Amino acid sequence: MILQLDNLSKHYGTTAALRGLTLEVEQGSVYGLLGPNGSGKTTTLGIALGVLRADSGAVRWFGQPLSTQSKQRVGALLETPNFFPYLSARQNLLLAADVKRADPRTVDAALELAGLTARQHDAFRGFSLGMKQRLALASTLLGTPDVLVLDEPTNGLDPQGIAEVRALIQRLAAEGKTIIIASHLLDEIEKVCTHVAVLQRGELRAAGPVGTILAATDRVLLRLAADIAPATLLHALGQLPWVSDVRPEPGGGHSAVLAPEHSPADLNRSLFAHGVVLAGLEVRHRSLEAQFLELTK
Amino acid sequence: MLLRAEFRKLFPYRTVWVILALYVLLLAGFVSVGGGVTINGKQLGNALYDFPTLWPRLAYVASYFNLLLGILFIILITDEFQFRTFRQQIIDGSSPVGLVQGKLTVSGLLALFGMVAVLGVGLFFGFTRAPKTLSHAPETIGAVLLYGIQALGYLAVAGTLGFLIRKSGPAILSFMLYAWVVEPLIRFVTPDQLDRYFPAKVFDSLTPTPGREMINTITGSSNALLPIEAVPLALAYIALFWFLSYLLLRNRDL
Repeated sequence: MILQLDNLSKHYGTTAALRGLTLEVEQGSVYGLLGPNGSGKTTTLGIALGVLRADSGAVRWFGQPLSTQSKQRVGALLETPNFFPYLSARQNLLLAADVKRADPRTVDAALELAGLTARQHDAFRGFSLGMKQRLALASTLLGTPDVLVLDEPTNGLDPQGIAEVRALIQRLAAEGKTIIIASHLLDEIEKVCTHVAVLQRGELRAAGPVGTILAATDRVLLRLAADIAPATLLHALGQLPWVSDVRPEPGGGHSAVLAPEHSPADLNRSLFAHGVVLAGLEVRHRSLEAQFLELTK
Repeated sequence: MLLRAEFRKLFPYRTVWVILALYVLLLAGFVSVGGGVTINGKQLGNALYDFPTLWPRLAYVASYFNLLLGILFIILITDEFQFRTFRQQIIDGSSPVGLVQGKLTVSGLLALFGMVAVLGVGLFFGFTRAPKTLSHAPETIGAVLLYGIQALGYLAVAGTLGFLIRKSGPAILSFMLYAWVVEPLIRFVTPDQLDRYFPAKVFDSLTPTPGREMINTITGSSNALLPIEAVPLALAYIALFWFLSYLLLRNRDL
């Protein structure tokens, strides 16, 4: 297990930012932390990284409490790129390499990765938001950590930059690194993550593999043959205990949710046995966005 | 590694060099015009630069410029809160102890700079204006070391205020108010036998006013500690202030 958060709670004054959050991140996963603004994503990561104090609960990295050794295996970007504005990109990375006890020679590769080689001697304060974000991403990779923690990594990036970050995350994941990403860009999370956790008002609403979270509410769309009355379908569906949430669809037909152990083929077979002939049967995958909105309603 | 990281922050920072240059220029300027001061109708002249009394005099003058070192130190600490670089260093592997050690090292470097500046200014004026007394220079060189301890003391206070307040303006203002207004006011209402143990008073006792012996014969014995008595207390205060800084950093969110 890479990261275990056990029953974390945190208050800011009278506001509860986290209420008993428990999460586990497995090795090799790309773990997405989702939630609306103020749901506790950054607070969760801040506590995990040791910059915020939890009121109660425990953090374990690699099965051990947070330590200098564990930190050296984790590269993290929390909220904003944090650099000295008067230092150049290169000077900032050299400093970060010292703090991480990473080889200063890796700075060249990091600058190359960030696409900042040509501007490495320019002061950080003159950089655009996208350049700052790229420098911060490059800094997380100094010392080749096993785990990356990225809080809103595509903040301030243009579409091309976002695609580059996505490709980078996919490449790093393919190398076997564990990646934890907090984001409100659901599309991004859906494209890269293997696991997700959804937070709302400091509480965990759902957590697990992306497939499970999404498949739980995939809907099956049913269109009847022209000579069958809709009432027949509704009656037949009513006989099947593993079918739920039957709704009429705007374009005609109906949709329903199947219990996890039943497939659309099971439904087709059962309906046919009840004398209902389908003209169309379609599984409609729910987008993460729809699922997210449902969970945080 | 710790020292190298602090150097990487300090060397390219123009503010550091501007304030340090100001420190040297003001100290040298103040000392160079000192010879022109007239007391009781008699110009002090080059006798002011005679060793061995030059070192204690210089240490006393330099004690006023600790303010500059303190302001610089507060800027260096509050910058790290403002840039969120303390936060990033904790994420990247430092501990609160590591961050405090880094700044403690910087305070040592600043105090060392102050001592070297005093030595440099002293030797320059000694050589140029009182060369015949140079052989007496080593007799009171300890005054420069006492000044170094005093600088460390004021820097420890400045550091604690920086860690506590986190914003440069209010922290600098509090530093000046503490040293010049708050503590003197508290001392004013405190019994004489106690007020000499207050931090700023202890630090000030390390560089006594030149000619205090003469003043004492007129006004009676001063209640300030002798420099050598003040040293252990000053060191204890320095340790206490740094421990407070550590507690502040350890117990608060970054």
